[in-house]
Amino acid sequence: MKSVRVACHQPAGTHTMVSMTHVPHLLRLRAVGLSLAVLLVATACGSDDPPPDGASSDGSLDGVTITVYSGRDEELIQPVFDLFEAETGATVEARYAGSADQALLIDTEGDNSPADVFISQSPGAMGFLDQQGRLSLLSADTLDRVDESFRSESGSWVGITGRVRVLVYNTDAVDESELPRSILELTDPAYAGRVAVAPANGSFQDFVTAMRAELGDEATADWLDGMAANDAPNYPKNSAIVDAVARGEIDMGLVNHYYLVESLEEDPDLPAANHVFADGDLGSLLITTAAGVIDSSDSPDAAEALVAFLLSDAAQELSANGEKEYPLVDSVPAPDGLEPLADLAAIVVDLDVLAGGLTGTQELIDQSGIQQ
Amino acid sequence: MASSSNPLVDPLPSATTPRRPRPGERPALLLTLTVAVIGLVFTGPFAYVVVQNFRLGADFSDIFGSSDTWSPLGRSVQLGVAVAASASVIGTTLAWLVARSDLPARRLVAVLAPLPLVFPSFVGATALITGFATGGLLERVVEPVGVDELPQLAGFRAAWFVLTLFTYPYVYLPVVARLRRLPASVEESARLLGRRPLGVFTSVVLPQARSAISAGALLVFLYTISDFGAVELLRYDTLTRVIFSNRLADRGTAMALSLLLGVLALLVVAIERRMVRHDVPVAASSRPTGLRVPLRRWRWPAAVGVVGFVGIAIVGPLASLAHWTIRGMASSRSRGSLGLDGDGLGSAVTNTVLVSIVAAIVTVAVVLPIAYATVHYRSRTGAIANTFVVGGFALPGLVTALALVFWVLSSTAFVRVYQTLPLLVLAYVIHFGAQGTRASQVAVGGVPRRLTDAARMLGAGPVRRFLSVDLPIMVPGLLAAAGLVLLSTMKELPATLLLAPIGFDTLATEIWASMETLSYAQAGLESMVLLGVSAMLTWLLVIRAADRLD
Repeated sequence: MKSVRVACHQPAGTHTMVSMTHVPHLLRLRAVGLSLAVLLVATACGSDDPPPDGASSDGSLDGVTITVYSGRDEELIQPVFDLFEAETGATVEARYAGSADQALLIDTEGDNSPADVFISQSPGAMGFLDQQGRLSLLSADTLDRVDESFRSESGSWVGITGRVRVLVYNTDAVDESELPRSILELTDPAYAGRVAVAPANGSFQDFVTAMRAELGDEATADWLDGMAANDAPNYPKNSAIVDAVARGEIDMGLVNHYYLVESLEEDPDLPAANHVFADGDLGSLLITTAAGVIDSSDSPDAAEALVAFLLSDAAQELSANGEKEYPLVDSVPAPDGLEPLADLAAIVVDLDVLAGGLTGTQELIDQSGIQQ
Repeated sequence: MASSSNPLVDPLPSATTPRRPRPGERPALLLTLTVAVIGLVFTGPFAYVVVQNFRLGADFSDIFGSSDTWSPLGRSVQLGVAVAASASVIGTTLAWLVARSDLPARRLVAVLAPLPLVFPSFVGATALITGFATGGLLERVVEPVGVDELPQLAGFRAAWFVLTLFTYPYVYLPVVARLRRLPASVEESARLLGRRPLGVFTSVVLPQARSAISAGALLVFLYTISDFGAVELLRYDTLTRVIFSNRLADRGTAMALSLLLGVLALLVVAIERRMVRHDVPVAASSRPTGLRVPLRRWRWPAAVGVVGFVGIAIVGPLASLAHWTIRGMASSRSRGSLGLDGDGLGSAVTNTVLVSIVAAIVTVAVVLPIAYATVHYRSRTGAIANTFVVGGFALPGLVTALALVFWVLSSTAFVRVYQTLPLLVLAYVIHFGAQGTRASQVAVGGVPRRLTDAARMLGAGPVRRFLSVDLPIMVPGLLAAAGLVLLSTMKELPATLLLAPIGFDTLATEIWASMETLSYAQAGLESMVLLGVSAMLTWLLVIRAADRLD
């Protein structure tokens, strides 16, 4: 393997060689630009550089171990943990599994849970823990890093990054003129059998919850029934829809934006593109990933420090570039290749509704017959 | 079937009367106690589901009065029966060809045939979809020939096809082990009496292999009704789909349906046991059977059939995996990472191998007393323990894992073992105990009573009798049992993700992580490593060990 060596200027004037072999996870990030290299040198060279905004860097967490249950994938978030460890001296131990399963795990573990922090791919799984009363309240400093629409009203959890719902389509099979302006048009017979959905997927469920919040249960049930009547094919998850669209098995599908971005990196020739619904349409909903501190944590301060760090400029930049998701902190721009969030006019819905209404949403989905 | 109805099965009753429970023969108290304790541990997941049902207070009348419950249940059962039937036919045929015929390249087939078991269903199904579905690899291959569009790989028939491909080893392994130790004399006699090979197969081999086939078919059925990964990807709506999509949103329903699945499994296990109990246990010999039936003009057609089937089951997914890897290596995103992850992959291989071998050995050791109690004695404790051990296989791995979490953390005494390797191994033992038990019972059932009686009369103690008489005869069957558990553990995902010590990555968790981030190139590479390692272990630990002991 290639090892990148970086020279550091220490205050004492000595030169230290830092090998990137010690930070293998950082190498897993492909799309990291110059910013990461700069950060790496900064952290590898010790604490004389000013810390990235929002993070404590005084080594005050030396010897503290923070256990994170992460529904975010290791490849995406481990670099942020590595950075946090280097900044604070804390040790982050992360368990990786699906968000819903981790939420169930924490609930089952009860007061004996080893988890200090939970990071969820979707507000739904976080909301489940919130309902079970398993989250501690975060401080105003942490919460205020993001717009209030990106956090829970009670302050029990905070959004980290955002993903936008889109309509992925096969560019060979679908003419751009056929693309709908609104997601509500998809119940039109013109789209019969052509638009894949993933009703069992957390993001789809969050979208339906948002629709209930915006349009009410009746209109939502009508839309689900319409999709069912239109024989919208079922797929288990976003990635399966993107694969099927790219293969030409199905013309279009409702997914999150980054799946296609990642698939195109594996195979740039895929005949597929993302369609963002027109300004302010419910179809282009922004869904956040979320972090919270578990109520049974034995080091809640360190746990909160980690959550705050996830919202630091440095961590937000890492997330944006590595994950191809939208940073939620204003001062950090959208990753290269993605339209700025402001231009998308992605709709933002009250997150408490998103997180809390899962049971009702599941009922509506079950009743609609969209899963058959 | 009764032995009297077919003299060919048991031509010399006095010489080969196998171990059959004598009326009034009771197991030693120590054995009963051991079996009771083991059985109690295996009731854990069921007890958890029952407790949760009480705690969450699901509305039973609402759930069980609804077609939303019964139609997915019907589909689960339908798929389970269909897959069990086809896997039995294929697994048995394959086992006979490998053990009894002059099929070309038998040894290679023997190594390859168990392997499809090792594909985690989420990988195997995704790979087969990539290969065979609309717009997939196969379509690109056949397009120039004039085939326009292949049908979608979805729905009942797709699920049936894919699950048969991945589960027939559950039948193949116990049956091939059984055939290896069946005395050839009966088959020879049948041939001398003028029976044709097919006649010998149906009238002699099949009845004697029946308990092994039934054991395998039961495992296939239970696996199929508990599977989520494959049916989800193939879009066939079963009970597990309802359980999984409700696991957060409506836990009451999810737990009520888990209970339903568990009760169904216990019923099926009890029925299967009833059917096999009246079966004639067949004496195995301690020496392997060298009998080979010449296939003559069927030799090459049989070879083509075997290569075709095992080929689809192994090469089908493998082609997609290789395609992902090659495509990914050529693209910008993965070029750097494939090689760089070498260290991680190395430790994942070591972890996977170690934990699977330990789980396989512990499982067989734990279930062996139950096999003895159920086969050698009419032990009621044994029968109950057996039902829970085997039925537990139908509970989804996630439920078993959460049950362990619940019981271990409910008392402070065990908090220290939480998320340690011993607990992970216990999870595997509980989840895969069924595979060990049914295959071990077949092995124990093959020990002729005359031999143990003779040894007893010669004054050999129970330990010596076990080591020098029983064990050598049981070895192929026990290795088959261990082999099943080994391959299943290597691909286990939900319990591993939740219960492994932090940082303990296995190949299955690495593949899962790669698939989650759509790094198909990486997932392809890791899956091929998983397949290679399984092939090596199957050869070393199951096949070569059995040969050496011959």
